[in-house]
Order: sequence, then C-alpha cells, then structure tokens
Amino acid sequence: MTIDWGWIADHVDDMWSTTVEHLILTVIAVTVGLVLSLVLAIVALRWRRSYAPITWVTGVLYTIPSLALFTFLVPVFGLSLLTAEVALVSYTLLILIRNIVAGVNGVPAHVIEASRGMGMTDRRIFLGVQLPLALPAIIAGVRIAAVTTIGLVTLTVLVGQGGYGVFILRGIRRQFLTEALVGTVLSVLMAVAVDVVLIVVEQWATPWSRRRAAS
Amino acid sequence: MGEAMIRLEAVTKQYDGTTSPAVAGLTLDVPEGEIAVLVGPSGCGKTTTLKMINRLIEPTAGHIVVAGRRVGDMEAHELRRGIGYVIQQIGLFPHRTIAENIATVPKLLGWPRARIEERVDELIEVVHLEAELRDRYPAELSGGQRQRVGVARALAADPPVMLMDEPFGAVDPIIRSALQGQFLELQREVNKTVVLVTHDIDEAIRLGDKVAILNVGGVLEQYGPPADVLREPANEFVAEFLGRDRGLKRLGLIPIHAVDLEPGPSLAPAATPEEARQVMARHGVDWIAVVDGTRLLGWAPDTALVGAATLGDVALRPFRTVISHDASLKEALDAVISSRSLAAAVLDGDVFLGMLTAETIGREIVQ
Amino acid sequence: MGDAVEPAEGGVVIDFLGEVAGWFADPANWTGNRGVPNLLLAHVSLSAVAVAAAALISLPSAIYLGHVRRGGFLAVSLVNIGRALPSFGIVGVMYPVTLAFALTRSPLGYWATLIAMILLAMPPMFVNAYTAIRDVDPALTEAARGMGMREGQVVRRLELPLGLPLIMAGIRSAAVAVVATVTLGAWVGYGTLGTYIFVGFAQGDEVLIFAGGLLVAMLAVVTELGLGWVERRTDQTHHGRRRQGARPLAISDEVVATRP
Repeated sequence: MTIDWGWIADHVDDMWSTTVEHLILTVIAVTVGLVLSLVLAIVALRWRRSYAPITWVTGVLYTIPSLALFTFLVPVFGLSLLTAEVALVSYTLLILIRNIVAGVNGVPAHVIEASRGMGMTDRRIFLGVQLPLALPAIIAGVRIAAVTTIGLVTLTVLVGQGGYGVFILRGIRRQFLTEALVGTVLSVLMAVAVDVVLIVVEQWATPWSRRRAAS
Repeated sequence: MGEAMIRLEAVTKQYDGTTSPAVAGLTLDVPEGEIAVLVGPSGCGKTTTLKMINRLIEPTAGHIVVAGRRVGDMEAHELRRGIGYVIQQIGLFPHRTIAENIATVPKLLGWPRARIEERVDELIEVVHLEAELRDRYPAELSGGQRQRVGVARALAADPPVMLMDEPFGAVDPIIRSALQGQFLELQREVNKTVVLVTHDIDEAIRLGDKVAILNVGGVLEQYGPPADVLREPANEFVAEFLGRDRGLKRLGLIPIHAVDLEPGPSLAPAATPEEARQVMARHGVDWIAVVDGTRLLGWAPDTALVGAATLGDVALRPFRTVISHDASLKEALDAVISSRSLAAAVLDGDVFLGMLTAETIGREIVQ
Repeated sequence: MGDAVEPAEGGVVIDFLGEVAGWFADPANWTGNRGVPNLLLAHVSLSAVAVAAAALISLPSAIYLGHVRRGGFLAVSLVNIGRALPSFGIVGVMYPVTLAFALTRSPLGYWATLIAMILLAMPPMFVNAYTAIRDVDPALTEAARGMGMREGQVVRRLELPLGLPLIMAGIRSAAVAVVATVTLGAWVGYGTLGTYIFVGFAQGDEVLIFAGGLLVAMLAVVTELGLGWVERRTDQTHHGRRRQGARPLAISDEVVATRP
C-alpha cells in the first residue's frame, strides 16, 4: 500500500484544473453567503426580534447534512451548479450571521454615543464605525466558513460538479489510495492556504488592533 | 456678559411606565461664554437634561433654545454638528488615528482638506498634546492624553456650545485636577458656552461660572455663581449637598491677593528687643518675625531675644509656614492651622507681602 | 455518477412528494437488509461507537490540559486542522488503507468509516472540553484548593460539573457531524441510511434519493435537539448562556471562538 508518485507526476495538469474548479465553487459559495448574511444580519440588528427566527432557520440549514440538502435540491434543480451552491451557501449562513451580529454588537457603547453626539447619521455610524470595528469578528467567521466550505466542495462531485472530490471518488471506486489521498491532501492544502490569506487580509485591514500604549 | 446662549424653558422628560418624571419643568438660562455646571445626587436628571440639549434624548415637554433657535426645529444631525460633546469614557474611534478622530466633525461638515489639517494641528497644540501623537491610535495613548483628544475633537468645528458629561471622571484625581486647570485656561482663550455635568461638588465650584443644584426629578433647587450659592444656600437640601465644610469651600474661592494683608508681628533687623516685645504684646504672640526690606529672614521666640542688642544679632529660625500669594484662602487656612505660630507668611516669589492668621482669615467669611 | 437525474418540473412537486410518502408507506422498505430499521441501526450504532471512542480518546487529555492551563495552541490547531479535513476525503482515504489491513469479520467499509468518524469527532470535543475546564472562574478553583481539596477533587467536584454544559455542547456538535457524515459509509460499502442516496443516484431514482436525504436530515435534527436537551439539563448554574434571542438549535461556541 504505497503512494504512486508516478501517477501524481502524470496528473499535475489535472490537479491544476481541478484546483481552479474547486476554488471557483468555494468563492461563489462564500461570497454569496457573505452577501446574504450581511443582509440578514442588518435585518437582525435593526429588528431585534427577528434574530431568533433567523438563527433558528439558518441553524436548521446548518444541522441538515449537505448530502441531505443535495437530495432535496436534485429533484428541483438537477445535477447542477445551482444545487451545489444552494447547499454550500446554506451551510455558511449561520456562522456568518452570528459573527457579524456579535461583531457589531461588540462595538463599545460609548463610541456609538460619541458618534451620535457628534451628529453622525445612523448609516454613517454603521458603515464608518460599526462595520470596520466588527471586521475581526466578521473575518473570523469568513475563515471558518471558507475552510468548511472547501471541505464540503469535495462532496459536490456527487451532484455532477468538479473539484477535488473527483479524485476522491475515483480513488474510492478504483480502490486506488494515491488518488483519494491526493484529493484529500489538496483540499487540506487549499483550506490552509485560504486561511492564511484571510489572516493576512485581516491584519492588513485592521492596522489599529495591534498597536498598544507605549509603556 | 452675553445674553442667554442656551435657554431651557420648562423642560420635562418622563419615561413611559414611570410614575414620576426624570426631569420636571426645568427652566434655566446659560449666558454666552459661561460655564454652567449641573450638579446633584444620582437620579436628579442632570445627564438627562444635558442630553436633551443635543437631542440624544427628546424632551416630553418644554423647549430648548440654543443660539436663538429651538433645537426641536432643527434637524438632529445638523444640531449636533454645531455642538461639541464630551463624555466620560470619551468614545474615541479605536480604528482611526488621533488626527482622524479630531477631524471627524469638520469632515462631516465638508471642510476642505487643507483647512482640516491646519485645524487639527492647531488643536493638538491648544490642548497641550505632543505633536508626534498625531498619527497614533487611541490604544497607544494614556487616559489623560485620550481625554485631551476628546476635548480637541469636540472643539474641532469651533462650535459655540459645548456639552460635557463627567468629562474628567475616568482619570485619577491628580490628573483630573491638572485637566481641570487646563480646561479653565482653555476656556479663557476660546470662551465657549459650556454646560457641564458632574456629581462632584468641588469640581462644580472650581469650574462653574454658575452652578445649578438639582434635586431628584430634575428639580432646580438653586442656580447662581458658586460664591453666592455657598454663602447663602437656598434651602436645607442645598446646604446638605454642599456639605458641612461649606465655609471652607467658600474660602477656596477667595484668592489671597484679593485680601488686604497686614504685616503681622514683624520688624526690621535694626529693631531692639524692647520694640520687639511691644509688638509681640500688641499682637498677643510670643514670637517675632524679622523682615529686611521685603525679604523674610526668619523668626525668633521672645526667649531668644535676651541679651541681644538688635534683632539682627539673634539666631533666627526659618519661617516654615509660607504660602504663595496666588493660592486660595482655604490653602492659607490649612497652612495656618498646621503651624505652631498659627500664622502664615504670604510671599510673591521672594517678596514678603504680609501675614495671615486664623483670625484675619475668619473675617473674610463673615463679609 | 450513474444515469442523469432530470430536474422535476414545477407542477409536479405535489405528485413527487406523494411518491415519497408512498415510499415511506411501503412496508417492503421497512424490512430486510435494505429496510429502514436495519440501515438506521447500522447508521446509529457506528455513530455511537465513533462518538464514544472519540470521547474516550480526547476528553481525558482535554480535561487534564484545561485544568493545568497548557496546550491552548494545540487545541486551537486541532480544531483548525479538523475543520480543514474534508470528511469525504478521510473516508475515501481510509477505505483503501483499511482494505490493506483487511479485518474480514467486520462489514466492508466499517473500519474505514469508523476511523474517519473518530477523527472527525475529536476536534470539537477536545476544544470544547479544554475550554470548559480552563474557563472555570479561577477564583473558584483557588477557593476550592484553599479549602483543602486535592487536584483530582477540584476537577471532579468543581471543574467538571461547571464545565459540563460546554463539554456536552462539544459532544453534541461532534455527534451531529458524525451522524451526518456516516451517510458516506454507503459509498465505501458499509450500509447506512446513505445507501438510499447512493443507490438512488446509481439508479436515477429521485424518490429514493429524496427519502434517503429526508431520513438523514431527520436523524441529524433529532440528534441535535436530543443532545441539546441533555446539554441544557447539565447546566447547574441555571443561568444558561444568554445570547441575543433564543437558541433552540444551539451550535457550540467553538464554532465562533477559535482564533490563533
């Protein structure tokens, strides 16, 4: 039971194109998820009572296994990108909404009071004060959403999509360890790489968070 | 003396579901260029009143007029951009530099970039902040520095009116006293109309041109210059609130240089012990101070005068209880009662101006 | 991936759901090897074994490390890596691996799935248990030691009871993830509720696919709610964890909390 390095060398091109597929699937899911979550988070922040139902629904979507979601969507959308993306996006909503809301709520009350006292409009306060200060929490949520999505994208092969799941499925079918391993390892590598990139993005976007008072 | 820059007319605030109002029919004028301090026990509605001026809280009844316009008639955001607002925790934007923080309202008002930069640098100097802090973030500053940035930020658009809610509350007492002094100096320069809320009666007395003593429910018990309020409290509540050391607080308001000083039991070095004994007897003390021109040389007890030809021959002891002429009578009294001689010498630098005793100080209170 | 599955048209939805209901009503689907009870049992039993094994492996070390307040970095790394591992990939890799060490007495694919599930379940359990023990108010542990409790007693009598809700939250999170992923066992030959989905895709049978998905979804939700109920019962401080709004489907805090 050894690794067939020859096979790997032969399939580098394959791996590149699969990587692109996998990345595209991920980016679509996380981007759509983030946009939807921002909208829902704003709703939840504006109308406090809506937070519980919103969390409830997205919580159900989170609990239902992606495979099961696929099975609900296939009769409607077939083996399509839409099926895959709807399921992937559903999984990200809960974590992103919770983090956005927690981040915005975490902005100190006296900063908000001072903002209002200076005559800033609510919209200005949200865009200029609350969102920027909520960025660490939001990006933390995006990191988690991205990493889990990358793992879930491997399943989309079952509904006719590409990505590293292709290698894994073929590896299972042919009982070929190398191929299944390649699919798995590439997925992990992409997850780690994306995580690191997002950490860097956070550092770049929040220059104030690292400075502390000189003694 | 200006006419009223801020006018509160029967301002009332009652929250839903409460039986009594937080503020009940408060009427009060703040003349232009003055600092009016709202002070009182908790629940007296002082902060509520302050926040009704810039409409962070809307009154249930009554009107507030600022610079001739009813605040209710203006757009809230517009109103607030014309009023400086300083709160206890300051509320600096953690994600903006000091310069950006200060520039907030001017930017909201659409000032040209160059003018904003100039103004920021100007203000940093005015509040005595080190210029290098300009591009730092609030997390890098100390509490006292942040407080000064808060004041600079409130002054940025040069508003005629400032509202301050316990602005010096979040720093320790030593820094607080320094900040209060700096604020008074600043006010001499900028001459804003200020409404300041505090729970500290001493701060109110020190800072206020007028002090408003509020009782629970926003009831105005007394409103007037601190010296007047201290001298004649309107009722029992005010007297209690001012504290038992009301008289001492009044002394704190009177600077020494406002008082006529007597030379006290002092003579030139050329004087004889005989003359000294006469002076001592007249003042009813057992010691004599020796003054050469305007220099205080020291003092000697009468027992040390035996056998000396003139006072200049006597071994003098240094006069310990001395006080600067720009201190207050309260500090003078404190010096006096901690000295053996029960007298304090008043100096302006090295120049001897005269002496104060408990008796001479006491006479000031009665007037 | 088998024959193409055609998307259903709008007006046919009711008919389709009727067919699904029909499938559930058919007694043939409730008997035999491919019957719901059998597959359900296989599914649940593997899940339970995996969760129990993962708990046995991760909880003691997590509790110990949490008590001595070391290894925080390990906990965070574990959960980050755990999150990055694709469960499909782990099952897929384990399959040929376990075939190489064929344990012939167990059903095909059982060990592949089991090992993959244990790996899946460990990170959330570990990090939650670690955090639960570590975050017990140090004032309380100090008081306990001051009263003369030995270290073991501090853990048993103070930290464990207080940390129990969060530990349960980790177990719940792990259990739901396992129950969801055991479905994949069907792809490597171990019969679970996923068999319906797997076979359904192979045969192009939409009803079967949907029924399988429905069963898995319901099982996941039941697990979540059931263990959530248990978790709430273990909260001895009666404070609950206040969040903005109610949390009937509570997701463990480890999902939000971890940052390096």
